[in-house]
Amino acid sequence: MPSIALLAPVLLPLLAAGVITAFGLGGFNLGRIAAGAGAWAALLALLVVWLPLRSTQELDLGQLGFGSPFQLRIDAVAFAFGLMVLVPAALVLTLQRRSWQAAALGALGVAAAVGAVEASSVVLTALAGGTAATLAVIQLDGEDIRAPRPKWGMLLAAWLALSWAGVILQVRGGTAAYAAVPVSALTPPVFALIAFAGLLASGLVPWRSWPAQVWSRPSLRAAGLVVATLYPLGFYLLVRSYEMGDGRYPHIAFQAVLATWGVVVALGAAARAQSAATRRGFLGEVIPGIGGFALMTVALGTPLGLVAGLITLAFAAAMTGCLALLPDRGGPASLVAIAAAVGLPPALGFGARILGIESTFEAGDFFGFIGVGASIVWVVWMVAGARATGLPAGRGRPAPETSPRVAMAVAVVTLVAGPALAVIQSAYANPAQADVMPFPAGAVSGGLTSMVTVSTVLPVVALFVPLLIIAVLAFGAARSSLIRTQPRPPLFTFPWTGAIDRLRREVASASLPEQYRSLLDLRALESAAAGGRPLVWLASLAALAFAVTR
Amino acid sequence: MEPELLLGSTLALVLAVVFAPPRAPRANLLTWGLLGLAGMAAIAIAPTLDLIVLILLVLAVLQARLASHRDFATRLRAPVLAVVLLALGLALERMQGPVVLDRFGAVGIVAGLAAAVGLLPYAHEFDPEESLVASPIPWIAFVGPLLAAAVVSRASGVVAADAGDAFGAMLIGLGLLNMLWGAVGSWRTENDAAAWRYSFMSDWGLALCGFGLAIADGRAAALIILFSIVLGRLPLYLWSRQALREKVPTDRPINLVVAAVLAGSAPFAGFPARVLLLRGATQLYWPLALVLAAAMLLWLPGSLRLGRSMGVPRGRQAVGVAIVLALNVLLGVYPQPLLTLAGL
Amino acid sequence: MAGAAFVAWVGAAIVVLADGRRGQALGLALLAMSLAVLAWPAGMAAGSVAIALGGLIAAVQCWRSGPAAWGIMPAGSTPRLILCIASALFVFWLAASVTSGPDASLRFAVIVVSGLMGARVLMSRDTSVVLTGIAALALALGLASGLAAQSPGPGPAIVGGLIAAGVLFVPAAPIPSAIQAASPAPTDSDGA
Repeated sequence: MPSIALLAPVLLPLLAAGVITAFGLGGFNLGRIAAGAGAWAALLALLVVWLPLRSTQELDLGQLGFGSPFQLRIDAVAFAFGLMVLVPAALVLTLQRRSWQAAALGALGVAAAVGAVEASSVVLTALAGGTAATLAVIQLDGEDIRAPRPKWGMLLAAWLALSWAGVILQVRGGTAAYAAVPVSALTPPVFALIAFAGLLASGLVPWRSWPAQVWSRPSLRAAGLVVATLYPLGFYLLVRSYEMGDGRYPHIAFQAVLATWGVVVALGAAARAQSAATRRGFLGEVIPGIGGFALMTVALGTPLGLVAGLITLAFAAAMTGCLALLPDRGGPASLVAIAAAVGLPPALGFGARILGIESTFEAGDFFGFIGVGASIVWVVWMVAGARATGLPAGRGRPAPETSPRVAMAVAVVTLVAGPALAVIQSAYANPAQADVMPFPAGAVSGGLTSMVTVSTVLPVVALFVPLLIIAVLAFGAARSSLIRTQPRPPLFTFPWTGAIDRLRREVASASLPEQYRSLLDLRALESAAAGGRPLVWLASLAALAFAVTR
Repeated sequence: MEPELLLGSTLALVLAVVFAPPRAPRANLLTWGLLGLAGMAAIAIAPTLDLIVLILLVLAVLQARLASHRDFATRLRAPVLAVVLLALGLALERMQGPVVLDRFGAVGIVAGLAAAVGLLPYAHEFDPEESLVASPIPWIAFVGPLLAAAVVSRASGVVAADAGDAFGAMLIGLGLLNMLWGAVGSWRTENDAAAWRYSFMSDWGLALCGFGLAIADGRAAALIILFSIVLGRLPLYLWSRQALREKVPTDRPINLVVAAVLAGSAPFAGFPARVLLLRGATQLYWPLALVLAAAMLLWLPGSLRLGRSMGVPRGRQAVGVAIVLALNVLLGVYPQPLLTLAGL
Repeated sequence: MAGAAFVAWVGAAIVVLADGRRGQALGLALLAMSLAVLAWPAGMAAGSVAIALGGLIAAVQCWRSGPAAWGIMPAGSTPRLILCIASALFVFWLAASVTSGPDASLRFAVIVVSGLMGARVLMSRDTSVVLTGIAALALALGLASGLAAQSPGPGPAIVGGLIAAGVLFVPAAPIPSAIQAASPAPTDSDGA
């Protein structure tokens, strides 16, 4: 495979965007066909590039001009995250009708996100990720300017922070290429910047952030695509950091703090999910909840944790595709989607969560408590899922943007994929883990039917297939028509939720007391500073002269 | 750096004239634009700072004779102050005496540069209703970038080594002042046209910081920022003037794209400039990079406002906006050719 | 040379202190001649001629435009007088005591004339006064390159002379009628 082929997963969606725009200007809307084709072609290209060789491939096209070469790299990590971005994006671009402008922007967003994943250095990832973020905001505002969207400033802060981390690596370590950064260059401050960027880019916070907010938009066309393209990128940074740190973060405190933060994020999402007034509200918390679990395991710093995290993220990607196409009405599609989302046995989510919690106990010490916390959060999720099956549907999405059959199919696939956990682990997650954690100690092994960790053997086929049969029988015996949709009280409320809301309102409405406003009269300040007054000029000159004599 | 900026300014003039709104005075724009270009060409080839200062004086007088709401003397004040400060700064640098004189000379050159371009604390008086060619905008957005590049490059041969630190520190200090004031001003000021003027200042703040860093990364950042002023912000401002008069804010995707260009978001030209600036600052003194990174976030609110003030470009103007966006993407993703051309 | 520097200051001071065209023309002429004298030994013979010619042309043009009066030191010009004297003392101290080197007169003339002309332009709102100040400033700038260790040649002085000669001939654009109607008649409020 010639190395120039590495450009294909990025170029094909770009080409699609160009074709859509050309036809759109001519009055033809090729949006769905071309954007879908572009995304699927990119996916195919990624598979074709990676699968035959299954080894790292690089393409160097020279310097771009800001200290970073235009170097693309496809390794197991890029492949894994490429799939996470491309599969749900291709699904929604193919199945949802959109204007040619929205389709072109969507295709560009996909290209940018794949570019961020394929980029071989931190700075290039920042450029591509920043582009994906810009396009995401434009897509969302272009669809509905009044609907919730990620705060642009927050996304910009994330990618600027990553840029800064990248340039620090360039200055201190001579390079920002993931594979070449000296371990000593990844100092705690640099990693803190990368972690900050990762958390902000994916909205990984305990309160209701953009991955939850965008699901409350009247239309979920742009929302689904944005979550598909942006959400994995923050995790990508945290995974790549292992590569730069030779398999570990610069200090164990980062692992503890980030893993704890992950549980708190999942808990926040669970708390909101169990008190959601509508099913849409519940489903909106699914991706942040899965993300919290993924963060917890990715940050543990053990091979098993990372494997569990990657499988959890793949599960999140599948759920993104599913939820973006799910209609706001009851029925088997919603039921199966909720079951898959909460990690009902033997779903992929179930397997990933089992592995994740096990990994916390294997990590030992403090991390065991994190596992206990995660178990409690999972229980809350289960109860919240059960409650959500009987909730009113929500605001009602436009039917043309939904595809209940495909949504249900995706949910079913994640449900039945549980027994294939060992296959997914060995073919998908293990190579990525091995790429960033080169030391084999604690690595996950096993064949196609079971997983072998340090402390146990998990015979996934033997355990999960009977569970799957039981689940199928139970679903067949159950009568979903008996479920009464009605408003239901929350299971519990956090006592401080109201206080936090009050505090936020007070901060938002804070204003300067009347008697001090003359001191900060912007108009007067503006007139003094920018009014072209010679006296101000002379005073400034004196100030400068004084300053240089200090 | 100057030939590249001259090229950029020429391209900006072509864009401005060809894609000007229907009611814009094209002939006037072309005439005065060409005159400005002639002056800029003279500045670019001038071998000494003395000649640059004299050319600056000529340009100032010619512009001040244009019809305007502001009187002749008022419009000449800032440019003449610039000329005097630059001249005094040069004179002090050339004298043999204590180090403090060299530093005062550096003060004169830096302050003169700020006054010539119209940056804080020497902002030119601005009348939102004034015609474009007679307003301070040509100083800050058309002649200024090349003038600044020329002054900084010539000054490096004049400013004594002992005063080099002070020279750089003042540029960075004024850069930060303009960044903060410009970003907040473009967000909070009442008048949309004034908001545009402040947005130029904030970009200039980045450019001054780049010059002040006095290393290749800083100069590269400054060059990209100046290019983005000339080939991004200036044409967009020109095409927004009609919508500014009509005061109809619009929220179409194109307005957001324009806001992204103005905010320096990836993949537009401002982003690599910011990356280079952060790299330069990290090399010299990392807390400066922290301040810069925090200040860079202030661009967004003002840029969103300015993007909305642009209206919906139609017809020829839409083509112009598309070209500007394409140029900014090209510069944002692949600035290497420009930097190579400039020897950076 | 010291005499020429003194005359340059006198010329600049007259330009600052005079509001009438005759006074300003006189100041400009004195300034031009003295700066030309200072330029000659600085290795700028051609520049010296250019400064003299440019300054004299400007002085003649100045004589023919503006209020037909001398107008030297009108009522209320005390601040300007103080400015002239204080700046001369300060720059004399700077050129003769703080700095070293053989061309103290040149240093004095360049700094004092540039400073005074800058102040004159910043203080005044009268077009002819501002243009006279600019012409004088251009002459001083032309001479300033003589301070450089390696003389850049007569170029700056010639350009300065040309600017001085031409600046008073630049036609003013007509003020749009809408602006005229909206604005009060211009008055000379030059701070005097």
